[in-house]
Amino acid sequence: MAQMINLTLKVWRQDHVNDKGRFEEYRANNIDTAMSFLEMLDVVNERLEKDGKAPIAFDHDCREGICGQCGAVINGKAHGPDKGTPLCQLHMRRFRDGQTLIIEPWRTKGFPILRDLVVDRSAFDRIVAAGGYVTVRTGQAPEAATILVPRDDAEVAFEAAACIGCGACVAACPNASAMLFVGAKMSQFSHLPQGQPERHRRAINMVRQMDAEGFGNCTNHYLCEAACPANISVEHIAQMNRDYLRAVLKSKPA
Amino acid sequence: MAETFEHDVVVVGGGGAGLRAAIAVAERNPELSVALLSKVYPMRSHTVTAEGGAAGVIKSNDDLETHCYDTVSGADWLADQDAVEILVNDAPRQLIQLEHWGCPWSRERDGSVAVRSFGGMKNQRTWYAADKSGFHMLHTLFQTTLKYPTITRYDEHYAAKLLIEDGRCGGVAALDLRTGSMRAITANSVILATGGAGYVFAFTTNGAIKTGDGMALAYRAGVPLKDMEFVQYHPTGLPGTGILITEAARGEGGIMLNRHGRRYLQDYDLGQPLEVTDPRHPQNRMMELGPRDRLSQAFHYEREKGNTFKMEEFEDVDAVHLDIRHLGEKRIDERLPFVRELCRDYQGIDPVHEPIPVRPVVHYTMGGIDTDIDGRTALPGLYAAGECACVSVNGANRLGSNSLVEILVFGERAANTATEEAGELKRPNPDALRTQAKDEAKRIQQTLLNGANANGGVRPAHVRNKLRKVMEAGCGIFRDAGTIQTACDALAELSEQAARMTLDDHGGAYNTQLINALEITGMLEVASAMAHSAHARTESRGSHQRTDYPERDDAQFLKHTLAYRQEAAAPRIDWKDVTITRWPPGERTYGR
Repeated sequence: MAQMINLTLKVWRQDHVNDKGRFEEYRANNIDTAMSFLEMLDVVNERLEKDGKAPIAFDHDCREGICGQCGAVINGKAHGPDKGTPLCQLHMRRFRDGQTLIIEPWRTKGFPILRDLVVDRSAFDRIVAAGGYVTVRTGQAPEAATILVPRDDAEVAFEAAACIGCGACVAACPNASAMLFVGAKMSQFSHLPQGQPERHRRAINMVRQMDAEGFGNCTNHYLCEAACPANISVEHIAQMNRDYLRAVLKSKPA
Repeated sequence: MAETFEHDVVVVGGGGAGLRAAIAVAERNPELSVALLSKVYPMRSHTVTAEGGAAGVIKSNDDLETHCYDTVSGADWLADQDAVEILVNDAPRQLIQLEHWGCPWSRERDGSVAVRSFGGMKNQRTWYAADKSGFHMLHTLFQTTLKYPTITRYDEHYAAKLLIEDGRCGGVAALDLRTGSMRAITANSVILATGGAGYVFAFTTNGAIKTGDGMALAYRAGVPLKDMEFVQYHPTGLPGTGILITEAARGEGGIMLNRHGRRYLQDYDLGQPLEVTDPRHPQNRMMELGPRDRLSQAFHYEREKGNTFKMEEFEDVDAVHLDIRHLGEKRIDERLPFVRELCRDYQGIDPVHEPIPVRPVVHYTMGGIDTDIDGRTALPGLYAAGECACVSVNGANRLGSNSLVEILVFGERAANTATEEAGELKRPNPDALRTQAKDEAKRIQQTLLNGANANGGVRPAHVRNKLRKVMEAGCGIFRDAGTIQTACDALAELSEQAARMTLDDHGGAYNTQLINALEITGMLEVASAMAHSAHARTESRGSHQRTDYPERDDAQFLKHTLAYRQEAAAPRIDWKDVTITRWPPGERTYGR
């Protein structure tokens, strides 16, 4: 049967990008433990609206763990305490009655806070725009079945492509490094034949854009991997570093 | 007020169809500037949740003819066959193109593209990326749009109104959700790719964004909506949440069981079951791999016979079992990892050890904006593609995995037409368009934002909840004149209430309540087109089953329904012939 818990929430409230922001405290009473974390926020927001207060702004959409929009830091953990789980798939049964939850947005220079828990992740788009694609024009595609992709390679590419671009890796990293994201985006193409022609140029351009956006460097804490809801492996960072190094060496005159 | 942004082509919608269209314009003519408008960040578009895959003939034991026939018969002969031929012929090229853009399709052991079985398809032809096919397709398309500098994105912009001048469409008035300000985004061609309208039903796999916005925009501009009575119920949704369990689960060999453990589909003219250990199981176009409409109808009959079971934890809704245990943990993790994840997270069960409780759930709108095979609508300068459009390739019942290729084939096609014709019509006067956008902003301010209805008004959420229940009750899997009439009357009353909607939030930035209110007026229009079209079609065909007219009636109704909006009155219903090229109407048979 339904189990109910009462929680105290300390939520980061910020009205706009230049607002200083502050924590506000709310009671979340009679929360059904079968609810997801976002459903709990819905309930809190309904009560806030009833009291004539502005609801907590947070990003969300599919609520099936695939669109990459939701995300918040709960008690210091990006996407909360469960491994391989985005916020929308985190359930309230994970928490104890009487617990206090501190809920904050991703905090990093690369993702300006727009309102409350909503951040601007367009830096990720700009990194992909710097090279995370294949330049093949429509209409010139030869038979697909003739390009065989070894199954092992296809599987690594598939795992890399599972990145949902949520940004938790950056939020979890003490250096605010985006290397797990960039590594995954790059590694997907590095393991497919169609990604080979531009492999070096892609590595250099994406890394350059990543640095320009103000993201830090990886110093092997592996917190990104722990926070990643898509279980992306830090192996992809190693792959990125190899690609980048090779590209830099190749581009230098002998 | 009403800042103006000038482009050559505006694409409304950032899902698969919209992104494919934007890429096509950018590739076809790099001189043209493209505005890509989306109510949400593009990666939130609903294409992302598509699981099973995309159909395209690629294997040597398959052929285009069979894919065409499967689609036409699956559609209960209501699809336009010229459009179906285009879909089927172009599908492999589109999927190969995605492959070249980096889409990680699942592979066979020899390295070639893998395909799987799907409902209503005679041969294996569904390409997939595990069971996150839509996710990988959308990512691939989105990342590809990022390489074209001619595409300007307007994320989180809600298209409130089409701008029309001199009898042609010349852009959209869009609310910037971040600031709440109205913008005029003008162009020579506008492509609507806003997706379906499943959210007008209470129990649906569709996300809250699928409110039929594009359909409502076109409808208000005088463009007819076609075949709106055809709404697909997917047979396997999780009973509490409506979250979809992909048809791929049955494609991989999953079976449907009633509460007595019987594979009940054999009692509904869908063939005889083979043992799950038989290497020939699952058989295509039979039993569990029958079409969605027939499977959802079978559920209804099982419930009437008392063969379903009740789920206490979800207000006693009825359910049956989808059992995939015999596939084993290894195969489930390899082919259906997302199914396992969803069952664990949302149903609290592990399908490796327990059967999955499921029931039919609204999934797809076959109907939509009436277009020709090149994506043109009746309004010059306005084009449409994807689920918001009705070309029609899906007729009275869509086959699973045809829609993920439809968005590619017709997204590109509509974009090609829009690109070609972008220079043909005289560009409307930008001042006139800006004035229209300003007027729309004023209208919203006066009717909704200034609190005029503060006393005696109703909250948007109230109207929306009622509307969704009305549609579920009146236009469900089985309908009759009585239930439909009740729905029509209730919708008329709700429209009156909607005119008195009142908001608590009167601000600008991220005013989601305002957007909800705007969506609801559109949902009411779309729902009304659905109900009145259902009323007019006094026959049963595909997903439209009338208990008072149980037979298909080709003599009268081998025709598309066209619903035209009328001011302050019920829609006018007209008819349009179905294009038949090579497959004359016949009996729909599965498993015999």
